[in-house]
Amino acid sequence: MTNTLTLAALASAEKMINAALRYDPATRIGLAQLEGKIIALHITAPAINLFVMPMDDELRLMANWDGDVDTRITGSLFALAQLTRTEIHNLKDSGVTVLGDLTLLAEFQRLVKNLDIDWEEMLSEFTGDIVGHQTAQLIRAKFGWAADRAKSAQRLTSEFLTEELKTLPGKPELEDFYRQVDDLRLAVDRAAARVEKLIAERNTHGFPGSRE
Amino acid sequence: MNDKKTTHFGFQEVPVDEKAERVAEVFHSVAAKYDVMNDLMSGGIHRLWKRFTIEASGVRAGHKVLDIAGGTGDLSYQFAKLVGANGQVVLADINASMLGVGRDRLTDRGIAGNINFAQCDAQFLPFPDNTFDCITIAFGLRNVTDKDMALRSMQRVLKPGGRLLVLEFSKPQSEILSKVYDTYSFKVLPFMGKLVTNDADSYRYLAESIRMHPDQQTLKEMMDNAGFVRTEFHNMTGGIVALHKGIKP
Repeated sequence: MTNTLTLAALASAEKMINAALRYDPATRIGLAQLEGKIIALHITAPAINLFVMPMDDELRLMANWDGDVDTRITGSLFALAQLTRTEIHNLKDSGVTVLGDLTLLAEFQRLVKNLDIDWEEMLSEFTGDIVGHQTAQLIRAKFGWAADRAKSAQRLTSEFLTEELKTLPGKPELEDFYRQVDDLRLAVDRAAARVEKLIAERNTHGFPGSRE
Repeated sequence: MNDKKTTHFGFQEVPVDEKAERVAEVFHSVAAKYDVMNDLMSGGIHRLWKRFTIEASGVRAGHKVLDIAGGTGDLSYQFAKLVGANGQVVLADINASMLGVGRDRLTDRGIAGNINFAQCDAQFLPFPDNTFDCITIAFGLRNVTDKDMALRSMQRVLKPGGRLLVLEFSKPQSEILSKVYDTYSFKVLPFMGKLVTNDADSYRYLAESIRMHPDQQTLKEMMDNAGFVRTEFHNMTGGIVALHKGIKP
C-alpha cells in the first residue's frame, strides 16, 4: 500500500502538471471531455502503479484507486514514454499491453502529444506583457533549437552506424532484403500450390505410368 | 448515589447528555481557524491523509456521498467534483459554526448544485435507509458520544455494497514514535492552539480525545459488530492516523 511520501510526491507532481495545464486551454478542453474516466498505469520497470483521472479540466494522479478502471495499461516506463510520442496503430511488439477502452488511450495520447504550454501567458503573470513576450520568444527559440539538435543528432548517429561503422544495414539495403524475402515467400507459396495441385491430380488420375 | 451514565470527554468523565454540548463548545471556538490549525498541527499532512481517503472511496460520477463531520468541507469539495452534476454530496456536521464555515468556503470555490448541507448528529442520521454509495467520517468519530450507535446509523443509510470510510487518529505502531507524539500532543499542540486561536483548552481536549479513541483493532471490531463486512484498516504516518473501511452487505 502507499506510504505518505508517495502521496506527497504525487500531490506535488499533480500540482505542477495542473499549473502548466492552466496555460494550455486546448488540452484543458480535451481533458474536460474525458472527465471521470480512470486510466490505470502499471509501470513494470521501475514498479509503480499510477491512476490518472481527468477531473474538472485538470488531471488527478492517484497512487490507489479502489474502484472501476476504464483503461488499464501495463509496460515499462520506456515503452510507455515511447507510446506518448508515436501514433497507436498496433501495440504489437511495443512492450505495452492495454485492457479496456482503447479509444480513451488514443484520446489521452493525442492530448499528451499536443500539449502546448502558452509560456507567454504564464510568464506575463509574473513579469508583465513585454518582458513575458520576449522571454517566451527566447524559450520557443531555444526549445526549437534543442529539438533541431536532437533531430540532427539522431540522423548523424544513424549515418555513423550504417555508413562508417557498417554495423547496421542502411535503409535501401534493408528494403532490398525485405523485397527478396517477399519474393522468396511468393515463390514458396507458388511451389506449395503446385505440390498441392500435383497431389490432387495424383489422387484423381493416379501417377502417370502407374497401372491404375 | 449518582447513577447517571457517563462518557469520556478527553481525560474527564462527563454525563452522557453533556458530551455533545461540550464538544460543540470546542468546535465553536476553533471553527474560524480550524483549517489553519490543522495545517499547523499536522504540518500539512492531513491533506495527504484526506487524499488517500478520496482514493479509497471509489466514488464515481452519479454517486451519492455523505461526508459526516465534514466540517470545513475538504472532502466534500473533492467528492462534489467526482460525483458531477448527476451525483449528490451531503456535507453533514453537528456543529453549526463548522458547517457555516464549510458552506461559505465551498460556495466561494464554486461548488453548488450537487451539494446539500445538513446539521445533524451522526447517531441519528436523518436520511432514509439505503441512500448513500459512500459515507466518510474524517476526524469526527472520536467526538461522537455513542460510537456504536453512530456506526449502526451509518450502516442503515448506506446502500447495500456501499462503503464506509473512517479516517481517525489512532495508535502509533512504534514505541519511539508514540513517545515523540505524546510530547508533541500534550506540550506543543495546546501551546500552538493558544497562539493561533487563543484557546489552549480546546486543543488539549483534541489531544486527550485522540488518546481515548479506540485503537485500530478495536474500531475494526466495532465496525464488524455494527454489521459491516470486509472491514480492514490502513495505517498512515506510522499509525498516527488510520483509515478503516467497511462494506454494507
